[in-house]
Amino acid sequence: MEPFLLLGIFVIIFIWYLTFLATRLDRLHHRVETSWANLDALLQRRAAIGLEIARSEIADPASAMLLTAAAYQAREASIANRSIAESGLSGALGLLLADGQSNHRPAEVVLLRELSELTDKVRIAIALHVDAVARTHLVRSKYIVRIFRLAGTAPLPITYEFESDVL
Amino acid sequence: MLKRSLKIGIVCPYGWDTPGGVQNHVRDLAEYLIAAGHDISVLAPVIDETNIPSYVVSAGKPIAIPYNGAVARILFGPIAFARVRQWIAQGDFDILHLHEPGIPSISLLACWAAEGPMVGTFHAAAKRQKAIFAIGPILEPVIEKLSARIAVSEAARATLTEHLETDAVVIPNGIYADRYRDGVAQPQWQGNTLGFIGRFEEPRKGLSVLIDALPIISRFAPDVRVFIAGPGENKETYESIDPQLRSRFTFLGKISEQDKANFLSSISLYIAPNTGGESFGIILAEALAGGATVVASDIPAFDSLLNHGQYGELFESESSTELAKRVIDLLRDEKRRIALGAAGKKHAQQFDWKVVADQIFSIYEMSLVAGEKVRLTSENRAWSRFIGRDQRGDA
Repeated sequence: MEPFLLLGIFVIIFIWYLTFLATRLDRLHHRVETSWANLDALLQRRAAIGLEIARSEIADPASAMLLTAAAYQAREASIANRSIAESGLSGALGLLLADGQSNHRPAEVVLLRELSELTDKVRIAIALHVDAVARTHLVRSKYIVRIFRLAGTAPLPITYEFESDVL
Repeated sequence: MLKRSLKIGIVCPYGWDTPGGVQNHVRDLAEYLIAAGHDISVLAPVIDETNIPSYVVSAGKPIAIPYNGAVARILFGPIAFARVRQWIAQGDFDILHLHEPGIPSISLLACWAAEGPMVGTFHAAAKRQKAIFAIGPILEPVIEKLSARIAVSEAARATLTEHLETDAVVIPNGIYADRYRDGVAQPQWQGNTLGFIGRFEEPRKGLSVLIDALPIISRFAPDVRVFIAGPGENKETYESIDPQLRSRFTFLGKISEQDKANFLSSISLYIAPNTGGESFGIILAEALAGGATVVASDIPAFDSLLNHGQYGELFESESSTELAKRVIDLLRDEKRRIALGAAGKKHAQQFDWKVVADQIFSIYEMSLVAGEKVRLTSENRAWSRFIGRDQRGDA
């Protein structure tokens, strides 16, 4: 009977380990969703501020057009294209702010300060999201997770290639 | 910005009533957040339970263990774990902030026991250690539960990336910059004076480097005097000094915050000869905020705090001759010494709690997006359901 007992114990430990991994993975997927929801909300707000800046007197007509187009693209992009669209918006905002003079009216100063605070947050949110996605990929690439299909039907999170240097 | 009042649980892994950087950080953060209108509970190991502030909850008596070149007072074990679980269950927290969840103490236990919005702050900067690689696979699934990681310096961040393959947001330690801003210069500490603050008995604080540098310094600046502030027994240190130079050293003992501010604005140079084990360098930030001109060893934490020498002079760590050279140069160049001190003082404002706590709070907000509360969890949901110990209805 001894070998059967040992085998039984081994099977129980193995099942425990599998369900442990499944729990861990489920938690990671949840973390990815949360960090994405956070990032998405911040990016939406950034696009809104971008539009507001485009309409204000900070922007000349040409950069206003560029900025409006970029902001709309960022808002309407599908998840797969989001990263490129947001980088476009970062670039448009960057161009405008790089040659911006400092003699703005109070309302515009507030707008610009809001944008810079938001940019700081977006930068952190990107780091949090990228970390969560990388972690999930790491665990999902384990053989045991792939063989036993522990991820279930959850889609593989997409790695966003945000260009943090243009922010 | 959303600024509702939160119920925040903070876990401090080291003994509350023993001196240390993490404890000070936790205390200041808790007090700042309470003043901002939040409901804070700090769980920490405590030696003397009769003398703790009302926001601290004791998790039991800490155990002294050598760790990272010093004696760490930490706490673990089944009783501590039960207390941590009880604290989480009764706290009804919106968010947990765990300090140093990578070391075997109650922060790690809390990270193990809880689920929901959790933020971890990593303070330590350590060299590559085999032991940490060995426990990595055990630690990883636990640390992974944190929704956001904060490192107090680039050095701490590098340690985290190296040991646990995970990234962190760098938010520096906080200081109350305005406490040090308006120190009044005291004549007895002025002149060609060098200052040192800290637990001078610990070798990693590097006082011996300064003592060895003094013979050279005194040759070029005969009236130089050294003031050492900080708790500790000074007999042994005193006897290690060259008898001819002993009269130049004054031990002030532990000084009050007000005296510290006055001290920093009086002395000519603040010397930080630490040889390692430092992750951020809070005392250096305070010295800068107090307007002192700083000469510090070039360990990674100080190098990044002083931005490669822009806000204070750096010398090669553990080299007394290098230290002496820098000190003599600065004592001779009054103009440069004052300019460096002024630049440092301005630089230090970014470490003020007003700035730092705001950054920490925005990390809290990002973790709260899911709209959940902190709750107890099981590491293995299916298993817990199977044996009937599931506290969670769903999942």
